[in-house]
Amino acid sequence: MNTTLPVLTGIGSVTPYGPLAGLISAEPLEPSAITAWTTPELRRAFLVEPFRPASIVPGLKTRRLDRLSAWALVAASLALHDAGIDLGQMDRSRIAVFFATGFGCVELTEAFYQSAATYGWAETDPITFPETLSNAPASHVALFHDLRGPNVTVSNKSFAAESALLQAASLMRHGQADMAIVLAGDTLTQAVYEWYETAHLLSPACFSNEPVPSTGGFIPSEGVVAMVLEPAGRLAARSYVALGAGRWAAGGDARAGVRQLLDGDLPDFTICAGNGAPCLPNPLTCSYRDLVGEDTTIFPAQPVAAGMGEAGALLHLLLALSKRPGHGEALLLGTSAHGGFAALRLELF
Amino acid sequence: MISGSTSSISGRFNLVIDAQKTVVVTGIGVVSPYGIGLSCLQAGMLAGQCCLAPATEMYPGFQGTVAPVRALPALHDGHHYSRSDRLAMVAARDAVVDIAGSCSTFRESGIVMASTVAGLTEIDPEISRGPAAWYRHGGLSRAASYSVSRVAASVEEYLGLQGPGCAVSVACASGTTAVVLAANMLLDEAAPMVLAGGSDALCPFTLSGFNSLQALDADACRPFDQSRKGLNLGEGAAVLVLETLAHATRRGARIMAVLRGWAMTNDAFHPTAPQKNGIGLASCIQRSLEMAECSIEEVGYVNAHGTGTPLNDIAETHAYERAFHGRSRPIPVSSTKSYFGHCLGAAGALEAAITIMAMRAGVLFPTLRLTDPIESDQVDWLRGELRRQPLPVAMSVSAGFGGSNAALVFGSYRA
Repeated sequence: MNTTLPVLTGIGSVTPYGPLAGLISAEPLEPSAITAWTTPELRRAFLVEPFRPASIVPGLKTRRLDRLSAWALVAASLALHDAGIDLGQMDRSRIAVFFATGFGCVELTEAFYQSAATYGWAETDPITFPETLSNAPASHVALFHDLRGPNVTVSNKSFAAESALLQAASLMRHGQADMAIVLAGDTLTQAVYEWYETAHLLSPACFSNEPVPSTGGFIPSEGVVAMVLEPAGRLAARSYVALGAGRWAAGGDARAGVRQLLDGDLPDFTICAGNGAPCLPNPLTCSYRDLVGEDTTIFPAQPVAAGMGEAGALLHLLLALSKRPGHGEALLLGTSAHGGFAALRLELF
Repeated sequence: MISGSTSSISGRFNLVIDAQKTVVVTGIGVVSPYGIGLSCLQAGMLAGQCCLAPATEMYPGFQGTVAPVRALPALHDGHHYSRSDRLAMVAARDAVVDIAGSCSTFRESGIVMASTVAGLTEIDPEISRGPAAWYRHGGLSRAASYSVSRVAASVEEYLGLQGPGCAVSVACASGTTAVVLAANMLLDEAAPMVLAGGSDALCPFTLSGFNSLQALDADACRPFDQSRKGLNLGEGAAVLVLETLAHATRRGARIMAVLRGWAMTNDAFHPTAPQKNGIGLASCIQRSLEMAECSIEEVGYVNAHGTGTPLNDIAETHAYERAFHGRSRPIPVSSTKSYFGHCLGAAGALEAAITIMAMRAGVLFPTLRLTDPIESDQVDWLRGELRRQPLPVAMSVSAGFGGSNAALVFGSYRA
């Protein structure tokens, strides 16, 4: 093992599988019917069942927060617990928080618009406004755990979670943080769902109780996954995977880019993190095997993670790790219908 | 390691420069209320021109004072762009106008763009009465530009960039944070060049939000003044072209400044209020100076966050007192938000551009309307006339909701 690589030592998640620490069952899920708003007919998605955050993390107050902030707080707390970290023993000014999201706090943004529509722009709610900011979830994580290091929220049209992982690792590599909590997630609201539907992006499985098909649109999903990165030299009780080199690009020859990263060293495992996959195949998605060779074990993109779009890579990684693939070199490979790629070399423990 | 024997970075005259790990600025593009371009911004600020105007001119029904960009070119290529997208695209084009055609690796460039407003400019409250209906009546393409990621993607597509890219949203520290992340990407050799900047447009959502918080000054803002009442919102964009000194030298680029140090911290204190004692921001400034291998005596100017809100400005003053404690003379500080308001996610990038502009012109811009400054014997509040002096090292600092702080240390460069 390369001792300079950041190591993933803790995982927490709030997903359609529920709020969980560590690995999860990873059994395939069926989408559930939407009841949070009135739909004309059956509409389905991968949804997080309502739960009381304080029942998972005692003392947590989330009443005025966007669900995304509440989930980030729970997921981060679970990840820290899973890593066995005693923050009291850490220099909290050296702990970074990186959060990747596609839409940010869209639930309270819609609430803010609702108040503007009802009462006018002059009578909007001062408590809601700051909670609409995209960086609110990451800042609440910092505030709750007194983490005074870099606090960054990123978005990317295809690879937000991958870019957050890579940039957090970069920060550690350059001595700008000793440890990082990387989170990625989104919430599903009526406005988001209906945008997908109006744009004809949804899978037929969203409109019937039929099993999930492999093509023809995607099934929206929601949740937050948090992962703790520590330097290898300070290994905690558990270490899931070490992060190696990575790269991501908006365009160009993805095949050449991935091959350049691999440098002839083909991975034992390839974890596919296709944005929108498997329902929006593109040439690269279809050619994972061609790209990484016959000897690699491929973990295909999972609908529940693909439905989280650009923030789905951490859930893809969690689902793959939860299958306990064994030891060896792995590649987290993100692709998108928009083109480009994100690839991160991993070493599985 | 490449010897820097024929080059010098201020404050590092006797050091060997690792050109692969030295980040330089080789282009700056700006869209501000003064117009398009750095020269336009410089001319306006040198003249002491204030761009703030009554909000009602642009947003009927809104009280207060804003600084709009009045002549933003339309971009007709069949796509729907948000106003934040368009500001970013025009600023980016301005930044690379001398580079795009002459640099063989330009298309491999990465991009980090900051925004907080992004496509909120395109959404109206009617969406809350029935999203599907709003989409069917023209909202679909407008809503497609909602995500912050679209600001970076729009520039990427517009300039044909194929390198790594992302958007950053760290409230009012976003623009500075974008520069930090871009610099790290260069150290990682993720791209030969990285465009870094921020873009935010005025819109009812943010005007209403800051109004609800009672954070707006109805008149022109007075940063660091004892009588300050709040901020004014502005809009604009700035994009810096960053590359390593080695890459810039190889292609014969004009080096405008050296990005010597950078840092990010968080107050972890309150969702909106800064820590009054300024510890978080002071720590950020100290870390950036450590990275820059720069003493507190060397810094000739700090372009402050300086919003003009009662809480921010006192916290920031305490941060300067703490970070520059022991300095032989007060640290010169000004807020250039007094010229064209607070451009939110673009502010840090615009202020980085202004800091470099100040270094190159040897000019310290005063804070406008600062007549009765916060008392501090450790801060030299720049006010009144322009101050002209050589400026080899200068800083730009930002802070934002959620407690985030970011600082940049720039040095001049002589070939």
